[in-house]
Amino acid sequence: MMTNSASTALLFWLFALMAVGGSVFVITRRNLVSAVMGMVGTFFAIAALYVMLYAHFLAAIQVLVYAGAIMVLFVFVVMILNRSEDEPWAMSGLLGKGLAGIALVYLVARLIGVLWTIKDHAQALPAPGPTVSGNDFGSTQAVGHVLFSSYLFPFEAVSLVLLIAVVGAIAIARPGQKPGHHDPAPTEGERS
Amino acid sequence: MSDIYFHLTISHFLVLAAVLFGIGVVGVLMRKNALIVMMSIEIMLNAANLTILAFARFHGDMGGHALAFVVIAVAAAEAAVGLAIVVAVFRSRRHVDIDRLTSLRN
Repeated sequence: MMTNSASTALLFWLFALMAVGGSVFVITRRNLVSAVMGMVGTFFAIAALYVMLYAHFLAAIQVLVYAGAIMVLFVFVVMILNRSEDEPWAMSGLLGKGLAGIALVYLVARLIGVLWTIKDHAQALPAPGPTVSGNDFGSTQAVGHVLFSSYLFPFEAVSLVLLIAVVGAIAIARPGQKPGHHDPAPTEGERS
Repeated sequence: MSDIYFHLTISHFLVLAAVLFGIGVVGVLMRKNALIVMMSIEIMLNAANLTILAFARFHGDMGGHALAFVVIAVAAAEAAVGLAIVVAVFRSRRHVDIDRLTSLRN
């Protein structure tokens, strides 16, 4: 991107259309499985946009974690629920949601307006040079170097967060009692 | 005029991220199914990530990549815990309609 080439611009528009269309597809589907499939397409398009931003490693992580792991988890839960909804659109508190929608449209319109007015000053950037560590920008080496030097504490904190999330998810979703069957002493976390 | 179409700048990515975030907000506000709401949250997280990476590219700073990495990991944790809650709610109530989950009201 930002190399003034029309083909990269064409690719950007293609993937932007794919991402926006995919996400609109997701929030309008009544069938949950097709919503998940639209989500996968959206994530692939966003991974392609990451590549255009020289974030190759994060694009790979995006495909692996989002399109791979998280979406498989969603598909599993959809299969467990196996319930189609009769009325998908939430109609309670419509006034507040209408106001929120108007505020959102206003916010996005102002954002686009600001970016539109500064577009003449936003010159195309040259391809990024090597990073401080001497690696290519966005490569796995560069990400690893920055993660294990400047951002070592967030990296380790993330591992702790993931561990806590795994333990918590198992504690919450552990197969408990069927509804109606009252356990004599239900423990915290098993009952919802 | 055709410059906008053939001359990519950081603004293109920022506007795209704003639009994606808006779509995610609409999904969170307007849908009743908890799973669709969670997918909309993932869309919003991805839009934020796109903004972060666009600015990282703009400034030539790898710190944004570290932040985006953390966001992806936290999103994975959020999806795991959120889906566990959805399964637990479905197990006790046989539905995941967030409009009917009013036990904590009042």
